[in-house]
Amino acid sequence: MSLDVVQPDPFAHDRLIEAVALHRDREAFAELFSYFAPRLKAWLIKSGATPGAAEDFAQDAMLTVWRKADLFDARKARAATWIFTIARNRRLDMLRRDARPLPVPEIELAEQTVERPDEIVALSQDAARVRDALSQLKPDQVEVLRLAFFMDSPHSEIARQLDLPLGTVKSRIRNAMIKLRLILEPSEEAAR
Amino acid sequence: MNARLHSSGGNPSEERLLAYAAGSLSPPEAVVVAAHLALRPANDAWVRQLQTVGGEFLDEAAPAPMADDALMRAMARIETDAGEVKSQPPLNDMPELPEPLRRYALGPWRWIGPGMRVRDVHAPRDGDCRVILLEIGPGRETPRHTHGGVELTCVLSGAYATETERFDVGDLEEADPEVLHQPRVVSDDPCLCVVALDGQIELDGWLGRLMQPFVRL
Repeated sequence: MSLDVVQPDPFAHDRLIEAVALHRDREAFAELFSYFAPRLKAWLIKSGATPGAAEDFAQDAMLTVWRKADLFDARKARAATWIFTIARNRRLDMLRRDARPLPVPEIELAEQTVERPDEIVALSQDAARVRDALSQLKPDQVEVLRLAFFMDSPHSEIARQLDLPLGTVKSRIRNAMIKLRLILEPSEEAAR
Repeated sequence: MNARLHSSGGNPSEERLLAYAAGSLSPPEAVVVAAHLALRPANDAWVRQLQTVGGEFLDEAAPAPMADDALMRAMARIETDAGEVKSQPPLNDMPELPEPLRRYALGPWRWIGPGMRVRDVHAPRDGDCRVILLEIGPGRETPRHTHGGVELTCVLSGAYATETERFDVGDLEEADPEVLHQPRVVSDDPCLCVVALDGQIELDGWLGRLMQPFVRL
């Protein structure tokens, strides 16, 4: 392998978030923004938001990244997963159509559970394992999963978008989930 | 409808876990699922795997170009950002609740029938759907009822059984509106549940009809 070839660093984004956390590094933040904001915007547009609302959502989510960078723990989750979780919580907030004026705690999975040491190691390999698992699914299974993640009213909307009967979409999602579980936790299925 | 179709061994359906991981579950349902996950580490770990899947999808999403001045705006915002207004709400008066339920304010207990009481969890509503705590004494049955809408129940202490299944601490039941439901508490202690309730419970039978005007669930 030639040393001249620049390998993409799979942990580059993790380091950028850490730089924001440690040094309030503005360049690092700008780089994160340039990469993730357009992806967050794309997600929201897919879920049915107007481009304007999606733009604001991406702005707000990235501001949360700036504020919460010190909570990022690369051993627990990769950058993309962490930013996804932040955006997911923000999206859940937006769905709170009748939120009371009370401050409500965020449902933030990443901070709630105490990991066992062996779990921490497992989690740091998660992204690679998940990517590998997704590559083992059929393309149409990956497609319904992606839509299920990015659309608000999963099944009927997905059925409409793919022009498929609702039942087909439901069973395709279920089969994709079963297969994903078999690949990702072959030994834990019984323990569930 | 075949009750076995809904038999899940106290676990949420894969679709519901997926919706929870994606953040598209309605807030009241998300509160009940969060309580379930706090009591079921294996499912919690699975939801985190699913969030990793979400991260992968985000990573490989085709970007939608931001406005020309987006980066400038963002940099200006972080310069003037005073941080988050973070006033953590106080813990409520029930230390026995799992952590995700501790910071919701709770309404007063209300008597709704012999050995039965209920209090509101002031979590965000979704239309008619809201979160309640329901406590039923040992050996008690709730009046037979059908459901006005989707109902999610997670057992926090004690246990109950329906006609077809038993639910213990941490178990989550997804009720079907078409299924007639008559849970009976089978534990020696009262059974405490957190419930996402959509619409009114329609009580069934003579006792139910008698009670309906007085019972506001």
